[in-house]
Order: sequence, then C-alpha cells, then structure tokens
Amino acid sequence: MAERSTDFDAIVVGAGPAGSCAAIELARAGKSVLLIERGPFPGSKNMYGGVVYPRILDELIPQWWEEAPIQRWVTRRSTMIMTPTQALTIDFRSQNWAAPPYNGATAYRPDFDHWLANKATDAGAQLLCSTVVTGVLRDSAGNVTGVRTDRPDGDLTAKVVIACDGVNSFIAKEVGLYGKADASNYTLGVKETLALPKETIDERFGVRGREGVDIEVVGCTEGVNGGGFVYTNLDTVSLGVVLKLPKLAAQKKRPEEIIASFKKHPAIAPLIEGAELKEYSAHVIPEAGYKMFPKLVGPGLLVAGDAAALCLAAGIWLEGVNFAMASGMYAGRAAAQALTRGNTGPDGLKPYLTMLDTSFVLKDHQKLQEIPHLVLSDRVQNQYPGFIANIVERMFRVDNPTPKPGLRRILLEERKRAGIRWRDLLRDGRTGMKGFG
Amino acid sequence: MTVVACLKWLTPHDADDRFGGISPADSSALEWALRLGEQRGEDVLAITVGPAAADTALRDALACGAQRAIRVDAVDELLSTDVAAAIASAIDGVDVSYVCCGDYSLDRGTGSVPAFLAAQIEARQALGLIEVVLGSDVIALRRLDGGRRERLRVDAPAVLSVEGATATLRRAPLSGALAARNATIEVVAGPVGSHLPTARRPYRPRARVLPPPKGGTLERVQSLLSGGAATKSHGVPVELSPDEAAERILAALDEWGYA
Amino acid sequence: MTAFRTDWGTISFDDRMATSEFRIHERAHIVVDGDACRGCSTQECVVACPARLFVPTSDGGVLFNYEQCFECGTCYLVCNTKGAISWNYPEGGHGIVFHQT
Ligand SMILES: Cc1cc2nc3c(=O)[nH]c(=O)nc-3n(C[C@H](O)[C@H](O)[C@H](O)COP(=O)(O)OP(=O)(O)OC[C@H]3O[C@@H](n4cnc5c(N)ncnc54)[C@H](O)[C@@H]3O)c2cc1C
Ligand code: SF4
Ligand code: SF4
Repeated sequence: MAERSTDFDAIVVGAGPAGSCAAIELARAGKSVLLIERGPFPGSKNMYGGVVYPRILDELIPQWWEEAPIQRWVTRRSTMIMTPTQALTIDFRSQNWAAPPYNGATAYRPDFDHWLANKATDAGAQLLCSTVVTGVLRDSAGNVTGVRTDRPDGDLTAKVVIACDGVNSFIAKEVGLYGKADASNYTLGVKETLALPKETIDERFGVRGREGVDIEVVGCTEGVNGGGFVYTNLDTVSLGVVLKLPKLAAQKKRPEEIIASFKKHPAIAPLIEGAELKEYSAHVIPEAGYKMFPKLVGPGLLVAGDAAALCLAAGIWLEGVNFAMASGMYAGRAAAQALTRGNTGPDGLKPYLTMLDTSFVLKDHQKLQEIPHLVLSDRVQNQYPGFIANIVERMFRVDNPTPKPGLRRILLEERKRAGIRWRDLLRDGRTGMKGFG
Repeated sequence: MTVVACLKWLTPHDADDRFGGISPADSSALEWALRLGEQRGEDVLAITVGPAAADTALRDALACGAQRAIRVDAVDELLSTDVAAAIASAIDGVDVSYVCCGDYSLDRGTGSVPAFLAAQIEARQALGLIEVVLGSDVIALRRLDGGRRERLRVDAPAVLSVEGATATLRRAPLSGALAARNATIEVVAGPVGSHLPTARRPYRPRARVLPPPKGGTLERVQSLLSGGAATKSHGVPVELSPDEAAERILAALDEWGYA
Repeated sequence: MTAFRTDWGTISFDDRMATSEFRIHERAHIVVDGDACRGCSTQECVVACPARLFVPTSDGGVLFNYEQCFECGTCYLVCNTKGAISWNYPEGGHGIVFHQT
C-alpha cells in the first residue's frame, strides 16, 4: 500500500479515558495525533458511578496518584443485599488501600478526564474540543481514511482512526462492527451528587482524612433489574441506581422514583439525611460484556472502551474506566506499531486483539462472561435478596420460648417460601463459582 | 482599518474556568464584528480585559475568523470606566472603524463599558441595538423607552452595543479551530482593581417609615399591598435644563430609597 | 423510635433538572415524529427518559422537548418504532455539561 499523505497519522475520537490513553501512547511513539472531543472540555459529557481503579496508569503515568484529581481513596467496600425492610451487608476494610499504589479512588469525571486529556497534550497530542465527529471517511475499498466533523470544511484524513466515542459509538455502528442493537444489552445509570459537610461524611461512613467508601447494593431497584451504589467524595456523596433498560420501560417506574425509594431505605436514609442535591445526571452503560462485543478491528479503524462495550458491568461491579484506559492504551500502542510498519490495514492492526487477549481486559471479561446476566437475572434480583435476608434474620432472631431452629431447617423452609427451585439455586451457584472462583 | 470586538469572560463564582464563558450578547457582537470586517475588507481584532482563562474566548474568536487577539491582563473586577480605559489604551494606535460590544455581560453588570469606551476613543455610539443592517451604510435599530424605536445611521468610527438576539455567532471552521489552539494572543498588563467598592450586595431599597394606613378597609388593604407607594404616581412634570434634570432625578431616587 | 427524615429529598422534577447545566443550542438534536408515536401503545420513552422529556398527550401522541437532554441514548434504545426518533448529538460544545459527576 502506497503511503498516503494525511492531515494526521492518527485521529482519536472521544477524549474519555480510552481516547486520552490512546492519544498518550501514539504521541509518545512520535506519531502526529489529533484527539477530538464533542464537549467543551474533556469530561464535560461524562458521568459514572464514582470509583476508578487507576493501576493501569502505572504504565503510562508513574506516580499518577500524586497528581490525579482524586476525591477519596477507597478503603472500605461494602456489598449490601436489600429487601424493603432488611439489609445484609458484607463490609470489608483495608488500610493497605490507604497508601500508594492504592486500589480504588473516587473522582469526578469532568476532573479526571480533563486531567488525563492534559496528559495526552503534554505528550504532544493535539486536542480539539467542541467538535462532533459525525462520520468516517472511506475510500472505495471501504477503508477508513479519516473523519467528518460538524464544523464547516470539517473533513480530516488520517492513516488510522481510533473510535473511543463511548457507549453509543456511532462510528463502530457506521462501519458495521456491531450487530443489531438490542436494548437488553444496556442499562441506564442515574445518579445524584448529594452535598454534605466533609465531617458529616467522615462520621457517618466511618472514615477519616482522604479515606472513602464504596457501597454496592442489590435488591434496591423496585423490581426493575439493576443495582444501586453509594460512593463518598470529599464533600458530596454519589448515590444512584443502574436499571436494565427494557425492564425499566416495562415496569412503568420512573428512574427518579426508584432513586427516591432507594434513598428512603432505612439502611441508606441515615447516611444521606439532610443532604442537598447538587447535580442530577444520567448515562447509559453497555452491560452485557462479552456477549455484545463488536468487532474490535476494522479497516483502518480500532475501537476501544465503552465504544467496544469493554465496560465490566457485572451488576454490582462497575469497572469501566480501567477497562477503557487499558484498551485505549493498547489500541494506541497497536496503532503506533502499525504506523511504524506502514501497514494500517486490518492485519496490520490485529496485534491489538492479542494485546487485549493477554491482558486483564479480555481475561476478566472471559472469566466473568456469565456474571452480568446472572446478577441481572430475575432470581438474583427479586428472589435471592429476600431468601438470604430471611435466613440471616431467622439466625439472629431470638424467638424464646421457641428453641433455635437449625440452619438446615431454616434453609429448607426459606427456599420453599421464596419459591426457588433447587435446580436453579445449584445452577446459579455454579455459574457464580465459575465466574468468581 | 480594524473592527474591534470586545468580549467579557466570566467564570461562575463557585466553579472553575471550564465552566466560564461569554454572554450571548458578546457572541452576537463578535459575529457583527466579523461581518463588518468581511464587508469592509478590514481586520477583526478581538479584545478582552480579564484573567488568563479568558484566552478561551479569544481563541474562539480567532477560530471564527478574527485576525488578532489582545488580552488586557486583569484578575480583579474593575469599574466600567477602568475597563473602557484599559481597552482604549490597548487599541491606541489601531485605526478603529467600529467597535462591537455586547449590551450585557454574563454577570449582568451595568452595561456601561461601551458608552465609556466611546467617550474614551472619541467615537460615536449606538447602544442597545436590536437590529443591525449592513448596506452601504451601517443602519442600526435602537430600543427606546415605551416601546419606541430609533433608527440610526452609524458612521465610523463608532461603538455599537448589540443585544444577544441580533445575530448568531458562526461556527468556526475546522481549519480555524485547529489553528486557533496555538495562535498567539497578545497580552498587555492591565490596571489593578483598587477603585472597586469593597462589598457587593444584591440591590435592595432602603427601608422607609410609612404612616399608618388610613381610610376604609379597601383603601387600607390596597395601600398595604402596594407598600404605600404604587397608588401614588411619582410623576412630576418639570421643565429643566439637562444638568438640573440630572440633579432632580438623583434627588428623587434618593428620596424614594434607591440610592 | 424516631424515623429518619426522608422528606427533605422531595424536590420537584424541575428543580432536579435545574441542578444540571445545559448549554442549549437553538437547533433540536433529537427529533421525534409525533405521527409515528400515535401508533405506539407502550411509550417506553415516557417512562425511561431520565430527563422526562417525553410527555404523553391526550390524543395518544407524545410531546418532546430537546433542551434538557443528557444525550444518554436511552430513548432510541428503548423505542421499538422505526423512524420515530432521529437522534444526534447536539452541535459541538453545546448540550449537557457535567460538573461533579
Ligand atoms: C451510571 C454509571 C456508573 C458507572 N460506574 C463506574 C464506576 O464506578 N467505575 C468505573 O470504572 N466505571 C464505571 N462506569 C463505566 C465507565 O463510565 C465507562 O466504562 C467509561 O467511561 C468508558 O470510557 P470511554 O473512554 O470508553 O468512554 P466515555 O467515557 O463515554 O468517553 C467517550 C468520549 O467521547 C466523546 N464522544 C462521543 N461521541 C463523540 C463524537 N461523535 N465526536 C466527538 N466526541 C465524541 C464523549 O463526549 C466522551 O468524552 C459507569 C458508567 C455509568 C453510566
Ligand atoms: S418515541 Fe418511540 S417509544 Fe416513544 S412514544 Fe414514540 S414510538 Fe413510542
Ligand atoms: S437521550 Fe436520554 S435524556 Fe435525552 S431525550 Fe433521550 S432518553 Fe432523554
């Protein structure tokens, strides 16, 4: 293939975590790269639950923790199983997570993404904001040769385009990398940023200084399959729910009503009493993971992050930013190598797939491929929380003069009461073990 | 000659520069400056008095087609007279045809910079414009009290201040947007805001002592609802020289509690 | 037992939406074809749009306002009627601007 002369070696669409990491890699490899973002600044269009796991940045930005705009370091992680009147919490705390290199951290996306994009420009990438990419340019053979933007005279050419344009990725769809869109692969996340004084948050959540808490909840979404979350920032709390789209529409429950009932739960209300709503936000999550992956490589095109559905959203687990940063980084690396070799065709870009395959990105997804489905299944959503909570309630209940029943009897009785079949219980247990074990 | 566009950058008090911007009126002013520049074959100079964050607005102006950008560096809030003086001195030596300003900034200040600027650079002024027509002459429609309009022919040199609805700022072309990110912005030192009144509060009229309401129930209710004021007309027909009239207006405002 | 006060959280939907910043463009980025909606019995968008921008009308159609849109994509994902929603992002630099999300 003869070298075309182009405006840029590479164009990265979307300055989210995936796009910025791709641009960092390309710029550091000495390639000319343009990062295009539709918002007025990177991060302005982005919301999420609230916790990032930035260890992948060790590779790109050594000592990132000294400069990243972090709210709190997560030292306490709780998983809560909830029914309208009960809550069972598994609470874990580790001071090992309170010092470098840390584990999870709460951060606001307009801050975090903005910071990460600045790292890309520091590395030599060019950033163009307030510009929507409206489509790709293709040659007669169908190879992607650049992008079209919504600005006058808005075409730009490049040897490779990396689509990091998030969950709606119209680019991946336009190039035909996705199958038919299916609403059941997506969840809607709605969130409230609630203001409280820092001391109040410290006190209610049992943390000090920059330590923070991550609470994930199942069984709090009023029969709509999904989950809830509560994360602490310095002087706000991020609280929200994630809702399976077709179910939400079918149940006739409005998102803000589901948040309101979550906030009223006796296990949640005391945490946020008196808090003032600072900001309401919403975004869609590609939830189905492995089952919905598009083709990740096209002719002259790579797809990374949410655009490639690489978000790991196993219901209560919401890890997307780390998957986006990693896949973006690999996409940038693969593109830079392909550029150096002078082959940006599909086979030249293919090493991207190998990089993903051998990293946590696809390994985790592969391992947990059944989990999103399991966590969002009707049984886990509607039957198990009550089943488990009732067992625990009866174990802790002192019903004198009746003597304590044995755990076995409780289990048998509660299974019957919840109407759960042994077969399903065993199968779900096995799926869970396979994923998590 | 050069057309000048004055832009005021404002960052909301509780947030950072990412959430700042210029008013729709300033955007319109920039668009008029660009159109005037095109029509007259003149350069467009965008100018702002403000902090480094205001460079964003100047870059947007360059992206849209302005040839030159100057920022008078000023961190403090300044009086309108100081802003006008700072702009005037920054464009001293520039052969100005028209200066376009928005008729209000995002913080809804007094909107008096354009008038002071016109005085400073000894140009004509046409302020609070709701329509501008560029033909062989510049024709501007001005809003007057009582729903009346005034149509003016505005010859250069002149300062125009326009409302936000007069024009929509064009979308910067891709090449302009790319070039503007690394374009040079001339920065000149500005005044320090030493003259600013220290405390700024929302406007609130002074409390007044009113006589107890008199008359029947209806009158008493009416006078209570009106705060004892609106039923009376403030109108006093007088015939005075402009100087005396200004004095009289000030005295009346003082008397009514507006000072 | 003193119950925890939970009523402080009840703000009107308009007040809720007022907490988000929208840099509104004069041109609508999403257009809903009201005629296509008249035959839609499920009206998923009315329930699911987090910004509550779809309002059912008495004659069985829906009314749509584009201004306070999160640009999330929920509506086109849940809508099963072909051609009812034409969905785009607003012009660059416009639309939702998140602050502390
Ligand atoms: C409610 C919710 C909770 C979540 N919680 C978590 C969590 O706690 N932890 C976690 O790690 N992950 C979480 N995630 C997932 C995480 O947010 C995503 O996986 C991650 O943001 C993906 O990054 P990205 O760079 O691929 O895409 P995005 O962050 O979506 O970035 C895409 C960028 O592209 C821009 N863009 C899009 N289209 C165009 C275009 N045509 N032209 C120009 N620019 C364009 C957008 O403006 C945006 O900046 C959550 C997601 C949601 C919705
Ligand atoms: S937009 Fe779609 S879901 Fe909504 S009413 Fe119209 S056809 Fe039905
Ligand atoms: S994109 Fe989201 S917020 Fe906007 S109209 Fe559709 S569902 Fe509502």
